[in-house]
Amino acid sequence: MRSEQEVNRAIEQYADTVRRICLVHLKNHADTEDIFQTVFVKYLLHTAPFASPEHERAWIIRVTLNACKDLLRSVFRRRTVSLEEVAEQPAPPDEHRAVLQAVQALPAAYRDVVYLHYYEGYTAPEIARILGKNVNTIYTRLTRARGLLRQTLGGEADA
Amino acid sequence: MHEELRAALDAVHAEPEFKAAARAAVARRARRRTVIARPVRLALATAACAAVVVLGGGWLYFTPTARISIDINPSLELGINRFDRVISVQGWNDDGTALAETVDVTHLSYTDAVETILSTDTIETLLAGDAVVEIGVIGDDDAHCANLLAGVEACTAGRQNAHCYRAGTDEVEAAHDCGLSYGKYRAYQELAALDPTVTPEQVADMTMREIRDRIAALSGTAPLQGTQSPAATSDSAAGDTGAQKEPGHHGAGHHGGDD
Repeated sequence: MRSEQEVNRAIEQYADTVRRICLVHLKNHADTEDIFQTVFVKYLLHTAPFASPEHERAWIIRVTLNACKDLLRSVFRRRTVSLEEVAEQPAPPDEHRAVLQAVQALPAAYRDVVYLHYYEGYTAPEIARILGKNVNTIYTRLTRARGLLRQTLGGEADA
Repeated sequence: MHEELRAALDAVHAEPEFKAAARAAVARRARRRTVIARPVRLALATAACAAVVVLGGGWLYFTPTARISIDINPSLELGINRFDRVISVQGWNDDGTALAETVDVTHLSYTDAVETILSTDTIETLLAGDAVVEIGVIGDDDAHCANLLAGVEACTAGRQNAHCYRAGTDEVEAAHDCGLSYGKYRAYQELAALDPTVTPEQVADMTMREIRDRIAALSGTAPLQGTQSPAATSDSAAGDTGAQKEPGHHGAGHHGGDD
């Protein structure tokens, strides 16, 4: 088990990353809070050393994506909609609202690749490793995601 | 779109309450781990030690280190562990099997077991006649077997037609292969030396008295009478099939051990 100091350092370092992934995938405050707790408790319990800061960052991203998927898949969640979900939709800043809403409207699998490629700057092979998918699958998803964004944003989606 | 998305996400930062919730969850989990881990580890260590003690103790308890072969006509063998407790009872002929099923001597000390068996109605009746009981201590641990033999001799003290001996385990397997207890196998070998036509199957259902009388008749020695019977002289050596027999009664014929 890692020390609390080490986890606090990771919270400071990766909280924004976790928050951005949650923004892309989730729609309410309570779920985001759950994901924060899940990710950093897993970090606390993850004793294997990281080979590099990049390795650690990729681990945080993968765990966060998986935690979001698990949360969205849960049977309880599928059958209920909390009051918070209705009441606490995070509102992106006006100037960025359109692009963020366009990304949030993509299928979950496309949201992952868009985020990882366009924001985190990972290549398709790196994304394939993080998500455990075939590289060609990643290329396909990127292409389709671009097409969908272009439709939504009216031809603004560049490669 | 690329730059716009980057700018949009760059503007997103984790709210302090999310960080605080994560820190609180981590602290809770770390405390729980610390508080729970110690008793759990202690419990696991205790359970592991208990398992070692139980398994090791079980192995020590249930591994026979010697056998006591009791032959009259009922022939049975008691498996004795290093703690001098009976851990198995096996009949080696029909009478022996029947007797083994009627007396419950498992886990008794071997002296209690021998006394219990000798005091059953079946055995008392046989010994009240002119039956011969031969009790052999079979094992390779000299010190242990010497103690067992001394205990068995104490149990049979006063019985004129009881004879005790000590033997090693070398021939036990051969005896069991013939379907005989070791005591009866010894007598069979003596008889077969005088009458090669005799078979283990014939011997299996003969009483020790019958075997001894036949040996006496064939060897030209005086027939056994009353409680006077041949004492199987003990002799520690396995493989000694009774060549050193001499007439006598209990006590005189006993050999206390492994010479």
